[in-house]
Amino acid sequence: MNRKLIVRVLGAILAIEGLAMIPSFLISLYFRDGDTAALGYSILITIAVGAAMYLIPKSDKKSYLRLKEGFIIVALGWILMSAFGAIPYMLSGMFTHFDSAFFESVSGFTTTGASVFEGFENYMHGVVFWRATTHWIGGMGVLVLTLALLPKLTGRTAHLVKAESPGPSLSKLVPKTGQTAKILYRIYILLTLLEFIALLFCGLSPYDAAVHAFATAGTGGFSNYGSSVAAFDSVPVDIVITVFMFMFGINFALYYKFLIGERFKAFWRDEEFRTYFFIAVSFTLAITLFNLPYYESFFTSLRYSSFQLSSIISTTGFVTADYSRWPVASQFLIILAMFIGSCAGSTAGGIKVIRVKMLMKLSRRNVLAAGRPKKVDVIRIDKKAVDENIVSQVAQFAVMYIALVLIGGFLISLEGKYDIITNLTASLTCVSNVGPGFGSVGPVDNFVGYGVWGKSVLSLLMLFGRLELLPMFILFTRSAWHKY
Amino acid sequence: MRIIVIGAGKVGYTLAEHLTQEEHDVTVIDKNDDVIERCSGSLDVICIKGNGANAKVLLEAGVEKANIVIASTESDESNMLACLIAKRLGAQYTIARIRDPEFNESQTLLQNELGIDVAINPERATALEISRLLRYPFAGSIESFARGLVEMVEFRAQEKDAIVGIPMKDLASKVPHLPRILYAMVERNNSVIIPDGNFAILPGDKVFVSGDMVTITEFFRFLGRYSQKIRSVMLLGGGRISYYLSRLIVPMGIHVTLFELDSQKARRLSELLPRVDVIYGDGTDQDLLQEQGLSQVDAFVSLSNRDEENLMTALYASRSGVQKTIAKNSRMAYMDVLNDLGLDSVISPQVITSSTILRYVRARENSNGTHIERLYRLIDGNAEAIEFVARKGDPYIGIPLKDLNTRKGSLVSVIVHQGKIIIPFGKDHIEEGDHVIIVSRNLGISDLNEVLYR
Repeated sequence: MNRKLIVRVLGAILAIEGLAMIPSFLISLYFRDGDTAALGYSILITIAVGAAMYLIPKSDKKSYLRLKEGFIIVALGWILMSAFGAIPYMLSGMFTHFDSAFFESVSGFTTTGASVFEGFENYMHGVVFWRATTHWIGGMGVLVLTLALLPKLTGRTAHLVKAESPGPSLSKLVPKTGQTAKILYRIYILLTLLEFIALLFCGLSPYDAAVHAFATAGTGGFSNYGSSVAAFDSVPVDIVITVFMFMFGINFALYYKFLIGERFKAFWRDEEFRTYFFIAVSFTLAITLFNLPYYESFFTSLRYSSFQLSSIISTTGFVTADYSRWPVASQFLIILAMFIGSCAGSTAGGIKVIRVKMLMKLSRRNVLAAGRPKKVDVIRIDKKAVDENIVSQVAQFAVMYIALVLIGGFLISLEGKYDIITNLTASLTCVSNVGPGFGSVGPVDNFVGYGVWGKSVLSLLMLFGRLELLPMFILFTRSAWHKY
Repeated sequence: MRIIVIGAGKVGYTLAEHLTQEEHDVTVIDKNDDVIERCSGSLDVICIKGNGANAKVLLEAGVEKANIVIASTESDESNMLACLIAKRLGAQYTIARIRDPEFNESQTLLQNELGIDVAINPERATALEISRLLRYPFAGSIESFARGLVEMVEFRAQEKDAIVGIPMKDLASKVPHLPRILYAMVERNNSVIIPDGNFAILPGDKVFVSGDMVTITEFFRFLGRYSQKIRSVMLLGGGRISYYLSRLIVPMGIHVTLFELDSQKARRLSELLPRVDVIYGDGTDQDLLQEQGLSQVDAFVSLSNRDEENLMTALYASRSGVQKTIAKNSRMAYMDVLNDLGLDSVISPQVITSSTILRYVRARENSNGTHIERLYRLIDGNAEAIEFVARKGDPYIGIPLKDLNTRKGSLVSVIVHQGKIIIPFGKDHIEEGDHVIIVSRNLGISDLNEVLYR
């Protein structure tokens, strides 16, 4: 194994993380509520460690980055980044125990938005802004960012992006990986900026607008208010965030195609987008109807139902209504949406619509084959045949995903807390990077009740989910640590 | 530049690799899933699965905005068709690999009618290269510049050579009567060195010298390397390279013995090449080789389809006392190992083809700056020798070289001024229209101004 190269790339990731703390530092200078020193020290520590790791190993420029090493870099990179991202929480006194700070940091980077922080209004602005920044970085991916800034870091960069980007296969926008990463970040910045401006127009303060724009863009869900977006209680804010949560669940390649001249055809031609749109609209309508008895008018029901569905399916996790009090049919659709998630190549989590679509086609084929075994049947997406390898990988992925949710639920139950629904949905919401679950981790509660063991397991589950299982599973195989 | 490579076989893959190293945006089209998998994993390119002669596939690859389309599939017809369609769809420049001798005869017509800007025949190019090596058997490789006025020759330094162990600046005083040539580049332990005054050649180094052929011949005669002209050659394998090579060297008065394993192919070759002794039999069979007089021939060239056979038989031939052996090898990774084995002349058709194509690409890239006349990749593509023509108005013109800055890792090796060769020293200068030959460890130089500046 090429240890020097791995250490070098990890160093670059940390250095970039340190740089990303600077805006939070500047904000803390403005608000002056006691976290300036904590952020300043965090920046120094993170950049110093990162620079040392980047500069000290003299690695051969021609060294060959193996696929296995790509996975290891991604998995270790995320764990390390989360650990260093917890430093500001510890130094500022937001948390006194590292397990809580680490949970909060992982939850930020994996864009889960599950919190163990018992939030109150006007808490230290710099640290809270850092928490939102972690969503923004984690959404598009830190290795994608690293490659956008340092495209010459290693050869075979596709290995790294492949391991970090969500979806069954990697689609490049332009031939160079570094260039692709730059384009993705430009689109990301543009959309974030649009939402920021829209929220300003709705009357939010620039600070609130930035925190919520970051949290939406990464499909994270940390708000700087204890009651989340419900704190604003404003129809325009709800509409803007509903629309943008949906938009950040769309494959970014489609925005690129939109911008280079295909316009809206880019979206409608894409089978995954059509399915995503169909699922979102039909679930919203169904939930709106189920909730009619619960709300006074159709439009009130539509407002809360659409916000909540958009929030869950894009795996953001913002809250304007306590869905655990909704009719049980609505709750069930919410759980389904937690499994499905959004499109590949977006900032969202979940199994991903494209995989669900392939699984549906695969099931249909299996049923038909039972009656007519000799018929050759090809699974098509966008009218193109899908490689059988990918089909079987997708099926295995779905099985592993569900198994992970079940095993995760069992492991946190070992702590002896809560009930089956709570622990199972806690596991699901963490693997899918949503945020809120049901029962004692419902939309108006948080994860503070879990102990060290529960928080550690849930932190791991979030990382498994964000990196789409394989990079994390590989860390637990013996062959990953072999030299050869 | 935006470049589409159709067919990622040996040539296509090598090309895509070099083109991405030179920062081009490369899209690869291939029909084969495994090939696509390999390319997308190891090269920084976009891969598209499909037939490159299909307009839909070409459009998906963005052919209308492509600067260059290179068709290098196995099939000549596919390549021609792909170029024709690409050109119609708006590609600026097309390059096709066309290898069938039948097509060569109507090449000009085909090129004009089909919109192929450059047609490349890898086998013919390889045969040309081998024929030059046979003409100058002391060289490991030869590249010629300025219409053959200047040659760059590679050889391996040996213990008994008079130049070994003496710093460059003392060579003239310590070695009397040494012909004056330029030591352009040295490869030692797989790294490239541009020699300066304190550098001394050691045994085992691969040395590149440049000058005119007369001086170079004198130089090798001085070292005691100059050997008799080659009069007889054995060729292993009756493929296209052997065919082209026989056509080239038989008129030079060289006797050719050719081994072919397939009886029908052997018969056909005998029909086509009446003055060649075609032997039907296994050329790797040592008895057969000896029977046909292996130890009496001057040169042995192994050109079969299997690299291992080529290399082993060449080694055997060289043990049997054949003074010049040349082996074809398609696997790049072996090159370093082969250097250690002591096989000096190992040629690889895909490197020859891809460096020919790269030269065109580089020239297209820079149509407004200095013009690239020739480009050779040396030392497995780790260094380059490039011939430029100095343009009017460039800042380096008329200024003595000692007053100019030269890019690190590069060297002005020869200046050809009005047909006269100048081995440059500090006081020499470049004039408009001069041909300037640069050797460099920096790949991707496309303009003389990148090397010489004030």
